[in-house]
Amino acid sequence: MADHRPVDGAGENPLAELELILESDPLIDEVGFIHPTQLASLSGEEGVDAPGPKNPRFWSRDGKLGISTEVLLPLYKEARRAFFDAVRDFRTRCGSGGDGGGGGVGCEVMKHSRALLLVSSDFGTAWNSRKLVASKEESFSMYMDELRLSELILSYSPKSDQAWSHRRWVIKRIAGQTSSLPEIIMKESELVEKIAERSKMNYRAWNHRCWLVSYMTKERVMCELKESKTWAGLHVADSSCFNYRRRLMTRILEDLCCKDGVSSVDYSFEVYQCWKDELDWDEILIKRYIGREGLWLYRRFLSLCWIRHFTTHAHSTSCNSNYIAEQTTDPSFFLDKELDLVGSSLVVQDDHFDDFQAQALYSTTYILWLAKQMPSPLEIELRQRLTARNMNDLLSEFCPNSSFLSGSSAEDTK
Amino acid sequence: MGELAGDKHVKYILSVEKKKDSFESVVMEHLRLNGAYWGLTTLDLLGKLDTVDSDEVVSWILQCQHESGGFGGNIGHDPHLLYTLSAVQVLALFDKLDVLDINKVTDYIRALQNEDGSFSGDIWGEVDTRFSYCAICCLAILKRLDSINVEKAVRYIVSCKTLDGGFGCTPGAESHAGQIFCCVGALAITGSLHHIDKDLLGWWLCERQVKSGGLNGRPEKLADVCYSWWVLSSLIMIDRVHWIDKEKLIKFILDCQDTENGGISDRPDDAVDIFHTYFGVAGLSLLEYPGLKATDPAYALPVDVVNRIFFGRCST
Repeated sequence: MADHRPVDGAGENPLAELELILESDPLIDEVGFIHPTQLASLSGEEGVDAPGPKNPRFWSRDGKLGISTEVLLPLYKEARRAFFDAVRDFRTRCGSGGDGGGGGVGCEVMKHSRALLLVSSDFGTAWNSRKLVASKEESFSMYMDELRLSELILSYSPKSDQAWSHRRWVIKRIAGQTSSLPEIIMKESELVEKIAERSKMNYRAWNHRCWLVSYMTKERVMCELKESKTWAGLHVADSSCFNYRRRLMTRILEDLCCKDGVSSVDYSFEVYQCWKDELDWDEILIKRYIGREGLWLYRRFLSLCWIRHFTTHAHSTSCNSNYIAEQTTDPSFFLDKELDLVGSSLVVQDDHFDDFQAQALYSTTYILWLAKQMPSPLEIELRQRLTARNMNDLLSEFCPNSSFLSGSSAEDTK
Repeated sequence: MGELAGDKHVKYILSVEKKKDSFESVVMEHLRLNGAYWGLTTLDLLGKLDTVDSDEVVSWILQCQHESGGFGGNIGHDPHLLYTLSAVQVLALFDKLDVLDINKVTDYIRALQNEDGSFSGDIWGEVDTRFSYCAICCLAILKRLDSINVEKAVRYIVSCKTLDGGFGCTPGAESHAGQIFCCVGALAITGSLHHIDKDLLGWWLCERQVKSGGLNGRPEKLADVCYSWWVLSSLIMIDRVHWIDKEKLIKFILDCQDTENGGISDRPDDAVDIFHTYFGVAGLSLLEYPGLKATDPAYALPVDVVNRIFFGRCST
């Protein structure tokens, strides 16, 4: 029941027009949907060199492609019809002895699925058909084309689950076969950062970056930490980015735990220093950007791991995953430092701004959370210090409704 | 405080089905089975499932089934666990599970379990704890949990636990309320909730409640009605729901209604959609809002439907 309604006076098939544009400019790396009036004014700027039709449906220049919102519906319908036809032909061809190769039919599937995905980014069946064709061809350049197409789709639909998943599928396929994998992984990491710039708190994007970590060497992980630091410092509200750092820091600890013999003392010191730097840096950010939840949550993680791995305490849990590094410090010293930070955060400098209230709340929940998670002798020590500093009343003032924070067990709070 | 505009929401859901020719609705057609689940479950919670022709729905669902036994999001689309669960849930709503070739569906799901206990969403291999939930919930409804390695499936889910007590989509991934629902739900169904540190997870979930009373899905995010379902159902399953302010949450959800044309949006004054309409109504049901059927937090189905499946009777 496909529609063949002409879109405007030209009556030309919008699908053919789009596919022609994509064919003639393989470097297009950004696509967007544009209102027809805006599209017309863009086309008007082209000057005499580009006469163009009266009612343009597409606009493309310098690697950018605009699609008129007016043409989306007919374009989608036509692309879907052409796509399903091509898939049917392809399956028939594969079924009748051939391997679907010879390019011909596979080409049609690739052509129409690309157009379809440009207007409907999560059309899973279209992504799947591309995987099917690509896995039959097994050519490296074809896999690279898939990464490019996925990037193009992400330019207008940065949260597309399917587009991100497609990248992982490609990387898994080529992982064992190419020496350029480290370079590809690095580019992937950069791509996430680029997309995260425009699309805040994008779970799918940051999850992809976390996934990449398992393909990184120890050295690369350290580089990633350094290279992504500036970005993180400028995007403190994007707590997903701090979760990425969490993943990197965890990986560093994992590498430390299964020492492969090479200069482990040096590496242990490097990790110790790295962890210390991260804690200091997070404190600087906390003081600079008042009331950011993500920074405080990141501190929970950093501090708990610090206590577990880099402080000497009598009752360290026996679980062997809790590796104690060779470099350690006195936990009391650490607790004092944290209490200083919390104490200074409880001073609400200006009642008119929510930020200071938020800072006080987050610092309170931070220290109470930490108390509950740390080994119990340390918890007792921390609670004694809170009392000694007269901080208990302040703490309850800033989170009056949170019975779960009181340190009592769940049953007591009922 | 306003009231739930139940009749308006029924009208809205029925109208979505008829409005099929806008670009916004056709680009959703690849997940129409999910849409059917959201819309029809909402109707059932509102006590209005009988306004729909069940034979028509069932026959359409069967046409979405692929020869492998899994279901696609619509006729002619590739199968995936996400749609297979919706198909089974909708059939359960209508008490029509007997139309299924249960062995076939079971075989499809079983084949997607990996060596480490995780589940791929389809033959292309993407792994995610969402798919673990789909598989486990589906098989439990079909009473075929014994066909997979439950122990390994549980172990994989537990390996996705984070330091803050929550769960992500894979090991090492960030906690996310939607993923937490999937993991807690799967652990609840398999009787494995003892793997959860309930106080720690409860703490994280409670911190999702923001000033407006609404819940967000992750730190630093805005409140969104859909998390009323994901956070709330998880809190109920781990018995910590008394840790949040329920009255404020009810008010937030009610404020997200379009009281003129029906439907619920993600936040007050945004455009409504069927997804948020379902999560808003289901959230209110979990909060025991009057006039709504009770919802099961693990199976994400009305309690009477779950009772019918497991006890063979309908307790209304």
